[in-house]
Amino acid sequence: MEFDFSPVIDYWPTLLQGVGVTLLIGLAVAVMSIIGGQIVAVITLYTRKMVNWPLRFFIWLFMTTPLLLQLYFLYFGIGEWILIPAIVVGVLGLGFHYMAYNADIFIATIKSVSSGQYEASRSLGFGHIRTLLYIILPQAFYRALPQLSNNMIIMVKDISVLSAIGIGEMVYASQYAISVTFRPFEFYITIAVIYYLINLMMEAGQTWIERRAAYRS
Amino acid sequence: MDINLMIEIAPLLVKAAWVTVDISARALFFGFFIASALVALRTSRIPPVRWLARAYISVVRGTPYFVQLLLIFYGGPAIGLRLDPFTCGVVVGAFNIGAYMSEAMRGAIESVDSGQNEASRSLGFGRLATLQHIILPQAAPLMIRSVGVLAIILVKNSSLVSIISVVELTYQAQRLIGSTYKPLEVFTLSALMYIVIIYAVMGIVEFLYRRATRYTFL
Amino acid sequence: MTQTTETPMVELKGIKKRFGDLEVLKGIDLSVDRGKIISIIGPSGSGKSTLLRSVNNLEVIDEGSIMLDGVQVNRPDLKGLAYEKHINHIRQNMGMVFQHFNLFPHLSTLENVTLAPRKLKGMSANEARELGMELLERVGLADKAQAYPSALSGGQKQRVAIARALAMRPKVMLFDEATSALDPELVEEVNLVMKGLAEEHMTMLIVTHEMTFARDVSDWAMFMDGGVVVEANTPDHLFSHPDQERTQHFLRKHLGAQA
Repeated sequence: MEFDFSPVIDYWPTLLQGVGVTLLIGLAVAVMSIIGGQIVAVITLYTRKMVNWPLRFFIWLFMTTPLLLQLYFLYFGIGEWILIPAIVVGVLGLGFHYMAYNADIFIATIKSVSSGQYEASRSLGFGHIRTLLYIILPQAFYRALPQLSNNMIIMVKDISVLSAIGIGEMVYASQYAISVTFRPFEFYITIAVIYYLINLMMEAGQTWIERRAAYRS
Repeated sequence: MDINLMIEIAPLLVKAAWVTVDISARALFFGFFIASALVALRTSRIPPVRWLARAYISVVRGTPYFVQLLLIFYGGPAIGLRLDPFTCGVVVGAFNIGAYMSEAMRGAIESVDSGQNEASRSLGFGRLATLQHIILPQAAPLMIRSVGVLAIILVKNSSLVSIISVVELTYQAQRLIGSTYKPLEVFTLSALMYIVIIYAVMGIVEFLYRRATRYTFL
Repeated sequence: MTQTTETPMVELKGIKKRFGDLEVLKGIDLSVDRGKIISIIGPSGSGKSTLLRSVNNLEVIDEGSIMLDGVQVNRPDLKGLAYEKHINHIRQNMGMVFQHFNLFPHLSTLENVTLAPRKLKGMSANEARELGMELLERVGLADKAQAYPSALSGGQKQRVAIARALAMRPKVMLFDEATSALDPELVEEVNLVMKGLAEEHMTMLIVTHEMTFARDVSDWAMFMDGGVVVEANTPDHLFSHPDQERTQHFLRKHLGAQA
C-alpha cells in the first residue's frame, strides 16, 4: 500500500473546475426546484383534481423511480428526438426530481398555515391571489425551510450521479484524471473530502437559516 | 407504444429487477446490524468510541453514496480490498444505509418519554433490560416507519451499482434503450418494476407497523 | 338608536344564516349610528360571532341585507370576480379583530400594520412607516416595531392586531371576542386601547364575554341566544334590570363567575 497524492496536486485545476461546475449546477437546480416546487404545489392545491392530475402523476413518478433511470430516459430517450446538451438534461433532470420532492413539502406547509391567516388577510381587503402571495406562501416558505434545506443538501450529493451522463462535475473531472494517472483511490478520497467540506458548510448554513426563520413562523 | 417489444424484453427486466431486490435486501439486512452496533457505540462509556461512531456517521452522511461506491470499487484494491461488483454493492449499501439507520433508530429511542426509563429503572430493571422490555417496544413503530423510508431510498440508490456493471434494473434498462432505440417502452416497464418493488416495501412496512402498534395507543 | 335621520353606519335587516340543517341566525335586525358602540353578549353557540363575521362577509348570509354607510355589503347578484372586487373594497372600510389575533408571523410588527395600506392603497414606504409608527404609538407598542409576533405577549399581539385594522382608516371596527384568548392579567391593556377608540367616537361592534367592560364602554347592548336577539337595551338597563328571564339567567351565571 503506497499512496501518492502528487497526481491530485497536478490535476488540481481540473478538479477545481469540476467543483465549480458542481456548485453552479447545485445553484441552478436549487433555484429551479424551489420556485418550481412552489408553483407545482399551488397548482396542485388550488385547481381541480381533473385538471392537475398530470402534475400529481409526475410528482409521484419522480418520487418512485431512481434519479439515474430518469436521467437515462431523458438523456438517451428524449435525446432520440431532439438533441439537447447533457448539461441541460442534467440540470432539468435533477431539477424536476427535486421539484417533486419540494412540491411535496410545500403542499404540506401551505396546508398547515391556519385559516385564521387567510381570514385576517381577507378582512383587510386582500383578494385570493394577493392573500396567497403576501400571506400564505411566505409563511409556507419559512415553515418549509428546514426540510427544504435538507433536500438541497441531499441534492448536492446527487450531482455526483450526473457524471454518468458525462457532465463535467467533480466526479467526472476526477475520472478523467484517473484515466490518465491510474490513481482512483487518491482521487476519490479527495472528492469525498471536498464533498464532506461542502456538506459541512451547507449544514452550518442550514442552522443559520433555521435560526433566522424560526421567529418568523 | 410497441407492446410486442415490451413483452419481449419483460423477462430480461424482471430478472434484473430481482437483482435489484436481492442487492437491496442484503444491504438492508447487514445495514440493520451495522446500525444497531453504531447506536450501541454512540452510547458507549468510553468517549473515543463515541467520537469514532459519530465521526463515521457524519462522514458517511456527508459524502455521496455514489462517490463511496466508486471509492471502494475502484480505489479499494489500492488498500487491498478487492470486491466483485455485486458484493461491493451490498457492502457499500449496507455501510451507507447503516449510518442513516442508526440515526433513525436513535431518534426513535429518544422519542420515548424519559419518564419511562426512570420508571423502569426504579423497578429494578437494568439498562439493557429497560431497553429491551420498555423502550424498544415503544420506539418500534416510529423505528419501523423511518427504516421503511430508508429501505425505499436503498432500492432507489441500488440503481447506482449499474455504474460498476452489476446487471440490475437500471443497468438492463440503459442497455435495452441502447439496443432497441425504444426509450419510452423500456422506461415504462422498468419504472413500473421499481414502483412495484417500492410499493411492496411500503406494504411490508405498513404490515409491521400495524403489528407493532397493536398494543399501543398511537 | 334610530331616532336620527342620518344614514346608520351599519344596518342589518333580517339576517338569516344556516350551517347545513342548523339555523344559527334566525332573522337579526340591528342599526348602528355613526360613532356608537354596540356590545353583543350571549352564551357560546348563540350566533353572536357568526353575526359579526357576517358583517365582514367572512360568513355569507342566506337571507337579509347588510349595509355599511349606505352601501350594500352582501351582494347575491354579483358573481365571481365582480363580487371579489366589491367585497375586497368593502372590507377595506371595516377593521376586524379576531379572538386569536391572526397576526402575520412572517412580518415584523410594523410590517403587519403597513402591509395593507402599502399594497391596497399604494401608500409609499415612508408614508406607511409614519402611519404605522403613529398607530403603534397609539397602542403603546412603538418600541416593538421591529419585533416579530412570536416575541410578543398575547396582549401585545392583540394591540398590534388593532393597529393593523386601524391602518386602513376603517369606518367601523369589529371585535370578535378580542380578549377571550388572553390571560386575565393581559385583558386590561387591550380594553384600554378599545376604550381609547371609544373616546374618539369610532363606530364599534363588540362581541365579548367581558360584562363589566361591555357595560362601561357601550351605548347599546344586545343579548343573543339560539340565533335570535333576546333583548336589546341601554347597557344600564340590560345589565341591571334585564326584562327577559333568559337574560337574567345568563347574567347571573356570568356576573357571578366574574365576582
